Amino acid sequence: MEPAVSNGRLEVSCGKKIPKSTPCPRPVPGEASGGCSFDGAQITLIPIADAAHLVHGPIACLGNSWESRGSLSSGPELSAYGFTTDLGEQDIIFGSEQKLHESIRYIVSRFAPPAVFVYTTCVTALTGEDIEGVCKAESEQLGTPIIPVNSPGFVGSKNLGTRLAGDVLFQHIIGSTEPEQTTSHDINLIGEYNIAGEMWHIERLMQQAGMSILSRITGDGRFREVGWAHRAKANMVVCSRALLGLAVQMERKYGIPYFEGSFYGAKETSYSLRQMAYLTGDRDVERRVDKLAAREEMRLSLELEPYRKQLKGKRAVLYTGGVKSWSVITALQELGIKVVGVGTNKSTAEDVSRIADRIGDDAEYIPEGGARQILKTVRSRKADMVIAGGRNMYMALKEQIPFVDINQERHKAYAGYDGLLSLAKQLVHTLQHPVWELTAKLAPWEEETEFAD
Amino acid sequence: MPIKSATKPVSVNPLKVGQPLGGVLALQGMYRSMPLLHGAQGCSAFSKALLTRHFREPIAVQTSALQEMDVIFDADRNLEEALDHIWSKHHPDVIGVISTALTEVAGVDFQSRVKAFKRERALKDSLLFSISLPDFHGSLETGYSSTVESLMDAVLGLAGGKSPKKQRRTQVNLLPASYLTAGDVMEIKDIIASFGLEVITLPDISTSLSGHLLTGFSPLTRGGTPLDSACQMLESSCTIAIGASMERPARRLTHAAGIPYHLFTGLSGLAASDAFIHFLQKISREPAPVRFRWQRENLLDSMLDAHFYYSGASAVVALEPDHMLSTAAWLEEMGVELKRLITPCSTPALQKTEREVWIGDLDDAEESAQGVDLWISNSHGRKGAPRAGASFVPAGLPVYDELGAHTSVSVGYRGTMEWVNKVGNVLLTERGKGG
Repeated sequence: MEPAVSNGRLEVSCGKKIPKSTPCPRPVPGEASGGCSFDGAQITLIPIADAAHLVHGPIACLGNSWESRGSLSSGPELSAYGFTTDLGEQDIIFGSEQKLHESIRYIVSRFAPPAVFVYTTCVTALTGEDIEGVCKAESEQLGTPIIPVNSPGFVGSKNLGTRLAGDVLFQHIIGSTEPEQTTSHDINLIGEYNIAGEMWHIERLMQQAGMSILSRITGDGRFREVGWAHRAKANMVVCSRALLGLAVQMERKYGIPYFEGSFYGAKETSYSLRQMAYLTGDRDVERRVDKLAAREEMRLSLELEPYRKQLKGKRAVLYTGGVKSWSVITALQELGIKVVGVGTNKSTAEDVSRIADRIGDDAEYIPEGGARQILKTVRSRKADMVIAGGRNMYMALKEQIPFVDINQERHKAYAGYDGLLSLAKQLVHTLQHPVWELTAKLAPWEEETEFAD
Repeated sequence: MPIKSATKPVSVNPLKVGQPLGGVLALQGMYRSMPLLHGAQGCSAFSKALLTRHFREPIAVQTSALQEMDVIFDADRNLEEALDHIWSKHHPDVIGVISTALTEVAGVDFQSRVKAFKRERALKDSLLFSISLPDFHGSLETGYSSTVESLMDAVLGLAGGKSPKKQRRTQVNLLPASYLTAGDVMEIKDIIASFGLEVITLPDISTSLSGHLLTGFSPLTRGGTPLDSACQMLESSCTIAIGASMERPARRLTHAAGIPYHLFTGLSGLAASDAFIHFLQKISREPAPVRFRWQRENLLDSMLDAHFYYSGASAVVALEPDHMLSTAAWLEEMGVELKRLITPCSTPALQKTEREVWIGDLDDAEESAQGVDLWISNSHGRKGAPRAGASFVPAGLPVYDELGAHTSVSVGYRGTMEWVNKVGNVLLTERGKGG
């Protein structure tokens, strides 16, 4: 279907119409890091809190990965359950479709979920199980949507998995239900995973401005509400370049304009709220956002004052992925921190140009290399701290470099205006912690001691 | 007693983790080593993330990063490339190539490729070995012990099959089971050493995952058993295996070098600690150091103090096989009624126990824990325990929501006392709530 330009909506879309997809480079054996496509698909879909998520494969895929993300739910907890067919040797030799049938039936009869997501893994993909067939048969039999997620680990990177999960949402779910009521100020958040409850901050801000979230895709989401996402007035793509494709598809099919934004930093937050308001086309909402932004920024600026003083001129290396690589830069700059190094290994060309807009040539770009390169940059650029994900945390701590976790395992919310204040506090507390002086001191027996006669 | 298993078609809230994870864990206890998972990228990424969360330490692991076409056409090309990269960049002392469910199902003959690589590169002073660890068998414990067994074979191979020239009477080998924490291994080494014995530990996570502050980044393990120490194991007068799963690797040394082994299925509890100390007294021909007399008395006193809170208490224990048996042993000494013992897979040791054991998951634990006082399992039980109304005590792996789990001590008189108090405190707090 051609984009519906005639309705005049496409022009207001702010993101690129079709995301450029460069083929993912082949990971280097012996030097690779990061997750697989199965990982990416799980991350995207598991935050749908009331659904059951069943992993069809041997134990490791689920056994080693469940409960590792900080997505919070305000109600149902079923998606926090780990379900797996836990295939044994016999299952693999003689086939496990029957086991999958039974597993689905067991889950539906015991937990009565609104839907079951069934994830393919490398082994079940390799043995050629007809997972789609099983899902289809059980959907009809049980009257519950059983949704196949065909994203085995070996098809590619985590990002690809996220994209495949986006396709699953688009093909199987979005458009399958209708909301009880809609308003002209309904927005979908796409790629917001409610890490540490960040979505709840944003939701409050939107409500204050007279807007509401129609579908949460997927942080703290519910299966039914994802189904009616096609009735929104606008889509905001919060994180993950991979779900941009979903926004593009929704624009093509349903004419919903979208934009990419972030909630890290006051400026980005105000920008995102303004964009939403603009796309709803309601002048009144826009005015309310203006007032809200002015008020919040003013309040924040006062509250930030003491922290800004302490953070001014501090130097940080930022190593994170996708949108966060540029949006967190803005947040840090607002706090007076100079970003002297930035990881770009998970960023698109667009992300990189956004990084460049913000820091120009002042910082070192770290395209790959992980821990070793981060450390090198910290040394050469005399950075005061590393801001990255848990994977690199202990590397920094061993080198006694102050560290702030910005990724999915953290327990603090940094989104929105209040989030920036939390981030400022976290940074100050980290930098000024007494432990840095204590660990830098030698043990008494290592100090040269002169003994008097 | 027969081993029973639940009848669900699906595993709900699994207790099991993959065998390769056990392999990766074992190799963390070798100095300058690199486990290489032959599988898709996720296999190593998940293992790394899980162990990092548990130990709060960087974890050495790499992947052959298989993608679909590699599996279909030539998975071994990736393996060779990975070995090449690791070898040329970091020159590790030990590389363990670990298969995964993916490579096992694809049926690649990676073992001969590893041998060929070894031949071609003439890796004389390093240890390169492979180990078959599909995820569709066993669990962490079996993966760990199989890896130690293969490691032992490789060490014996490196020694060239020659019998040692000399035997050291005061040198002993220690093979600690997978469930022992870095703190446990350190404690056991310390107890043995206090009898004037020298001890070589394989693998030794107490020097690699206990929290050292070595600077200078390396992707390899930063501690553990050095390779030359491992080779000297052939000169020891005996091997001490802790945990039934370590019996097979211990037997390897007996067969190859005639070194007798002594198996202790666990070292938690008064009886187990007594047996261990008594044994050390015998082989060292030294009296037990005075501090153990004190520790033993401290433990007994603590047990007396705590028995009020334990009496009448019931528990569900869901842990890996050896860990479960050892935990059951000390809980029995405290008079706890073991409502259900759950473990992820069957092992020979379970066939021998008098206790009733269930093969199952944390959902089975939840079902059987209704009305029970205590729930002991890894961190994944944190949500199920309150649903069942039981108090939760984290143990095993992973424990990611408690600090110091990987250095806590549960062995010997001192370690038992620590746990008697720790769990006793949980029960005491519950009593305080009027429950």
